[in-house]
Amino acid sequence: MSQATSFAADLCIKCNVCTAACPVAAATDLFPGPKAVGPQFERFRHPSLPLPDHSVSWCSGCGVCSRVCPHGVPVTEVNLQAKARLAESRPLRPRDWLLARPAMLATLAAPGTGLANAVLQSTFARRFLQRVAGLAELAPLPPFRSTTLRRMMRAHRAQVPPAARRSRRPTVAYFHGCSTDRYEWEVGAAAMAILERLGAQVVLPPQGCCGLPLQSNGFFRAARAYARHNARKLRPFLESGIPIVATSTSCGLALKHEYRAVLGLEGEEFDLLAQGTNDFFELITSQFADELNDTGFQWVDRTVVYHPPCQLRSHGIGTPALEVLRRIPGLRLILSEAECCGVAGTYGLKAEQFAVARQVGSPLFGELARETPDFVLTDSETCRWWIGGLAHVPTIHPLMLVASAMELAEVPVLSEGRARTYAAP
Amino acid sequence: MKQLVVVGAGLAGLYASCLAARRGSDVTLLTSGRGGLGLSSGRIEVWSRGPPDRAPSEAPRGHPYRRVSASDLRAAVDEFRDMMTEQGLPYEQRPGANLLLPTALGALRAAALTPGSQSLSRIPPEAQLGVAGVEGFRDFSAPLAAAGKLGRRPVRVIPDLPPPSPPGHRDLYSTDLATQFDSREDLEEVAQRWSVALRGVEALLMPAVLGWRHHAKVHHTLEQHLGIPIVEIPTLPPSVPGLRLERALHLAAFAAGVDYVEGSRAVGRVAGRSRGRRADAVAAFTPGGMRVYPAQAVILATGGALHGGWRLNSEGEGRESVFGLPLAHQADGGEWTAPQMASPQPYSYFGLRVDRDLRPLAADGTPAFENVFAAGGILAGADRTRDGSRQGIDLATAYRAVRAALE
Repeated sequence: MSQATSFAADLCIKCNVCTAACPVAAATDLFPGPKAVGPQFERFRHPSLPLPDHSVSWCSGCGVCSRVCPHGVPVTEVNLQAKARLAESRPLRPRDWLLARPAMLATLAAPGTGLANAVLQSTFARRFLQRVAGLAELAPLPPFRSTTLRRMMRAHRAQVPPAARRSRRPTVAYFHGCSTDRYEWEVGAAAMAILERLGAQVVLPPQGCCGLPLQSNGFFRAARAYARHNARKLRPFLESGIPIVATSTSCGLALKHEYRAVLGLEGEEFDLLAQGTNDFFELITSQFADELNDTGFQWVDRTVVYHPPCQLRSHGIGTPALEVLRRIPGLRLILSEAECCGVAGTYGLKAEQFAVARQVGSPLFGELARETPDFVLTDSETCRWWIGGLAHVPTIHPLMLVASAMELAEVPVLSEGRARTYAAP
Repeated sequence: MKQLVVVGAGLAGLYASCLAARRGSDVTLLTSGRGGLGLSSGRIEVWSRGPPDRAPSEAPRGHPYRRVSASDLRAAVDEFRDMMTEQGLPYEQRPGANLLLPTALGALRAAALTPGSQSLSRIPPEAQLGVAGVEGFRDFSAPLAAAGKLGRRPVRVIPDLPPPSPPGHRDLYSTDLATQFDSREDLEEVAQRWSVALRGVEALLMPAVLGWRHHAKVHHTLEQHLGIPIVEIPTLPPSVPGLRLERALHLAAFAAGVDYVEGSRAVGRVAGRSRGRRADAVAAFTPGGMRVYPAQAVILATGGALHGGWRLNSEGEGRESVFGLPLAHQADGGEWTAPQMASPQPYSYFGLRVDRDLRPLAADGTPAFENVFAAGGILAGADRTRDGSRQGIDLATAYRAVRAALE
């Protein structure tokens, strides 16, 4: 697998299209850029020799380089594999081990979410965590919640695909991921409500973490175990023709792409999973297009900036949320030009990378300061926490706005007036 | 509302998408990577062998210009210029003639239109010219740019100017500098640091790095503080003026409602969903697998030799990359290239042959598909570098293809 990746690196003609698009190279000269650390340095990485250069560790894995490459070089994939080798060669950091396991963190905090949240909000505790664990003091973190989506939606759980019914209601299986389950159940509930309004039957199949946080922190073996588990549990649904839908763009991308292209997993179950997984807006604009055309939306007199996350753009499906958002009357929609908000999963949470990550986000923060939107829309949870926390702008999943315009959910930022000023962080 | 799929995100693909969307079509643009605009100078070369508006009549047989009329070409250029002005990137043009513009090798090169910052028109004939690079930026050499004497005008070589931010851990990319200029609030201070070195210089030529998203403001502010005109010379890739043009086209596409899908490689028509000789649905590979895009018409703008629009194998067989259409090319591998790099290259002429409506032809000489049209670099029959016709062909054939596709 990694041989195939390095072979593809030979397709590079050094045109620098990736360098021009890379948000990290633009933010810091510590990073030589994706072309340099990818196709160029790859020639000096021998499987049996230590890595000659460590600057690849500045790569945030946002995926922009692979997407913009006109010649099909998997630049990000080359770099993620080199990063994983680098991580293996270094002593294990407890912080990375914990950040790679968001569901476990939530479980640990579950007996006393109030206390855990109080700790995370205290400056003293955050300074302490920065010093002893290397968790960036100023990086916004989501509050722990006292309940989970799976607990609330118990009736929707399905161990096996439901038997086909005569009603011809299409069934979709919802891959909610850890964060929606543990940290943002309202996003999951709204997604399910929209799908049901569009005529779908929604089930919650058995699933574990997608494995992406493990992969990003260099724990490939553990990530592969989760990937195999998910592929096995979801396979019966896919074989019954039930599409998988994901509201977390990075989880969706893991299922579609990273299992095969980064973790190097092969087999029919992974092909089935890749082909059968859909982003939420991709699914409703392609498979519920007629129902969507028959749907009325409430007037929303607001100005919003939509930031399509880097991970969503890596799906190669464009920005299907725009197609739905453009139907909401009254909405003034501004498309962010920024390639990445900076956090890139857990990258920005690490003390040694926080300043660079914030600099990566500065084009976006600049846009927000200029446009002063009522709120920001973005599909990825880590982007929402990061942007909302650093730019002090309410930041929600675009499906929350759609659910609100369909009168399926209450969104607090929509009921407030607008009297805000922003300062770019 | 007509459903149109455009394949390719270079000048031809982006411009065709904007035009079609502005005319009320539902446009999806599919592209496997970002287009090649970041390698370009941002100038619009239409015809360097003579006055630009004569291109359709002066072009030889088989040239893409022979498929467009003079009025198509004029309308295409005018609408492009208006569109760019709307996006804050005004272009300069001299009616009926080419502009001569400086290059990084010190030559003058003809173009029909240029972004204002590259024009020599604001420089008085007798003004003392100075050319300078930027410290830490190795992709531009002032002595080299001055060596050609820019059409025999004396040019003073000035030591490299300090960049807005102090040098750091690596050589600077043009985009690093452009971003530095974008984010500097106190450009006055930058100008002050430069002014000593520029004493006696009445016009400054320098690499095109003066801002990216806020280029107009950066360029204007620096000129104000230095009190002299500044002319930008495009650099090696990444070329910032090309990126400014790309950005303006992306903004225009969003404003027109184009669905821009990056990272999706079109691989052919979906036979089961297409009637007869038509492509009623286009298949594309995404990281997750195959996706299908319904289409009433398709515009192929996938580019030429460098951009993947066609491929040759070692047997000397050439095929267009999306639909596998036959290519007009030299069959013998030995005739693909000329011995000297700077000589006319046979491969420059490779590409698709098309009918009057720009529909690619099958081997039997009839249109391969009723509803597939081609524009830009994929068209056979031109050596664009030597003609100075690359962007003119892109704009004029995109314009013509959109009209044919929407008929």
